[in-house]
Amino acid sequence: MDVLIVLEDNNGKIHRMGLESIAAAQKLANGLSLSMGALVMGANGDALAKEASEYNVGEVLKINNEHLSSYSSDGYAETVKQVIEQENPTYVIFGHTYQVRDYAPKVSAKLMKPFLVDNVDVRTNEGNVVFTKQMFNAKLSADVEANSSGPFLVSFQSAAFSMDAAAAGSVSIRESTVQLDTAMIRTKSEPPFQEEVGGVDLTSADIIVSIGRGIGKEENIPLAVELSKALGGELAASRPVVDSGWLPSAHQIGSSGQSVSPKLYLALGISGAIQHVVGMKGSKNIVTINKDPDAPIFEISDYGVVGDILEIIPKLTEAIQALKN
Amino acid sequence: MSEREVLDLDVLFVGAGPASLAGAIHLKRLLSKSGTEASVAVLEKASEIGAHSLSGAIVDPRALRELFPDFPDTDFPFEAEVSEEHLYYLTENKKIPFPFVPPSMNHHHCFVTSLGKLTRWLGNKCENEGVDIFCGFAGTKLLYEGEQVVGVRTGDRGIDKNGEKKPQFEPGADIRAKVVILGEGTRGSLTKNLIDRHELMQGCNPQVWAVGVKELWQMPSGTVPPGYVAHTMGFPLGQAIFGGAFLYGMQNDIWDLGLVVGLDYQNPGVDSHHELQRLKNHPWIRSLLSAGKMIAYGAKSLPEGGWYSIPKLSVGGAMLIGDSAGFMNGQRLKGIHLAMKSGMLAAETTAEAFATGKFSESDLADYDSRIASSWIRDELWKVRNFHQGFDRGLFGGLANAGIGLFTGGRGWGIKNRLSSEAGHKKMQKGVKKNRYQDLQFDGTYLFDKVTDVYYSATAHEEDQVPHLKIRDQDVCVSKCTEEYGNPCEKFCPANVYEMLPDGDGQRLQINFSNCVHCKTCDIMDPYQIIDWVPPEGGDGPVWVNL
Repeated sequence: MDVLIVLEDNNGKIHRMGLESIAAAQKLANGLSLSMGALVMGANGDALAKEASEYNVGEVLKINNEHLSSYSSDGYAETVKQVIEQENPTYVIFGHTYQVRDYAPKVSAKLMKPFLVDNVDVRTNEGNVVFTKQMFNAKLSADVEANSSGPFLVSFQSAAFSMDAAAAGSVSIRESTVQLDTAMIRTKSEPPFQEEVGGVDLTSADIIVSIGRGIGKEENIPLAVELSKALGGELAASRPVVDSGWLPSAHQIGSSGQSVSPKLYLALGISGAIQHVVGMKGSKNIVTINKDPDAPIFEISDYGVVGDILEIIPKLTEAIQALKN
Repeated sequence: MSEREVLDLDVLFVGAGPASLAGAIHLKRLLSKSGTEASVAVLEKASEIGAHSLSGAIVDPRALRELFPDFPDTDFPFEAEVSEEHLYYLTENKKIPFPFVPPSMNHHHCFVTSLGKLTRWLGNKCENEGVDIFCGFAGTKLLYEGEQVVGVRTGDRGIDKNGEKKPQFEPGADIRAKVVILGEGTRGSLTKNLIDRHELMQGCNPQVWAVGVKELWQMPSGTVPPGYVAHTMGFPLGQAIFGGAFLYGMQNDIWDLGLVVGLDYQNPGVDSHHELQRLKNHPWIRSLLSAGKMIAYGAKSLPEGGWYSIPKLSVGGAMLIGDSAGFMNGQRLKGIHLAMKSGMLAAETTAEAFATGKFSESDLADYDSRIASSWIRDELWKVRNFHQGFDRGLFGGLANAGIGLFTGGRGWGIKNRLSSEAGHKKMQKGVKKNRYQDLQFDGTYLFDKVTDVYYSATAHEEDQVPHLKIRDQDVCVSKCTEEYGNPCEKFCPANVYEMLPDGDGQRLQINFSNCVHCKTCDIMDPYQIIDWVPPEGGDGPVWVNL
């Protein structure tokens, strides 16, 4: 096969970024009519294989091995290396997850082949494959082309591709084997860290209601909560709100928080410092309410209202609730 | 999992700047020449070498040539040899060339340089010599046995903002070494503790600092002559504030524009970042930059005090080098060659100490003597009263410097030593003059502070205890507001300090993740209650070519 997608287990389901990497691999493969395969392994291999077989991934390769029942960077790195040697793919595609960051560099070192990390796009240009990655704090995008032969290890940034773009299909599952022994597994992983309690997944929200310094004081936060509930969206914030301790840091958007690209981003009382804008400029629709007509956020907004959010938010909530009823 | 690791080394340099890197290379070679097996390592708080390196810079290649005698200058990672140089006095709208560039400010045979490029290059040479470089680890505490320094503790990782351990908590390591050489840059946190504990500034003039802020501008192809050098006095600082601007032509059509502001001004409202923006309003600068795009921003403090502000340099088990010691020639605007040379002299003392196996205070005092008989002393002695002259304003300072040329550096032509006062003590209470009311940030040519901070690429783990320790925040919200109007909001070039309304009163918010590690707050706070300590290792700016 030409393109090998390595999928990751997330409690018995394919990790979201695995599905995103299927979308990336399909774009790459379709452009050059390459053949694909998806690799699953580990304790939940059967369930993952079944889920993966419902996507258009060429075929699913399932590895069962007692040494892979729990994650270890040694075991996973050795497995991927052996599969690469067996299948001889030109491209090996990963989601840029914490687990991949842990073991994929080892695969790269074992094979002495480059690992092109954290890409945001792939395209073909006159038969050449071009990967795009961000540099210098996302100020620049760099196009990278290979000038050697593969295999190339490539990972994609979270949300660079939409998992909805992964084309469905029905493909066969092939079992394969790798040679592992106890001596190879020098590391033992502790259980994964617990997610922060009350954590939100802003990156997958369609609607985000985001508040900034204009919210004024903590007592006004419930106004924004009501609005986000009425819209069925998630609540987020710019840095000053989080710094003031009014919302947990998981809600922060921007260069030191989350990067999001929802269908609707409601920026309420946010001035639009560049540090915030880099985290939300990819939103499909940006609607801004701000008292200051010169606030830089208006420059990137699709719709803007100059006004006091404390007056407008309650009315907006009311209007949306009325529409819903 | 959470036990503190102990690492035994022979020599540890703290801070991978030019002083430490040159010292480590020189030391490794001396040790291998004498057949001594000893491990040498460099600790660096940045995620990689060069990421926290910032300077003007024009480099005098003297120390590099000594360290690499077989290399032609073309092998050094310079931008370009100084090709033309200008000295201007600026008024708000005009530039008046000085009739000649005084020999002391002459930069012939020197090189426009990015310090970040130089340190990365030196880092490579270090690794070739077998020096271990630990990036992403900050030294947070000196380890002692009695009064003998025996190592450095690195910072813990994974402490949340309330001081509680997070799941990924990892305690710092104790790195034990026979000799610890502090090359932390200006106002290093370990250096500050060492100087205090051993009273190393006794009998010295207080150190006086300045802060330099700079922007890099990418210009259209073929428009920037590499090696072009201009220095200015006058606008925007005027005659009462020490400092001036520099404009250097770098490779690849990049202008390097910076402004140095003495941290001994009187008006608490002075803001170095805003002064740089005012400078850009000068028609001459505007004509040079307006077709370009700003690509990087940074700030760093520098020691201006000169020879009489250099502390005793050694204690049992430890020495001070580079900016940590104050090796900067304020008149020539150069310190990198002095920093490197000081590191090399500390290396020579260290190599001698390994020959005898003794590392006590009296053994390492050899380093103080080496400095006193080196060309560092010759160079700094001639300008030993340079900065003090500016206590009488720009023209007083220039007159003093001019007379000094003919009297071997005597103050006002007669005095061997002029005294000075710590800069923060000069700040005056109740000054309300706003220097920036006409300054309009347009977001494309003149930038507000937060936008510039973005271009320093600085980042810090947000969930940690702020690394700016303020001993008593009540002073900030009451006394300081009344007396000085919270100068921290102004002197910090990275928008770290912000006074925010809080109920009926106000509170201080510390946006520590904006910090660019310049240490200005620690230096300039009029009450001296701010302690800058390193954040988690690896945090901070990510400078590429500053």
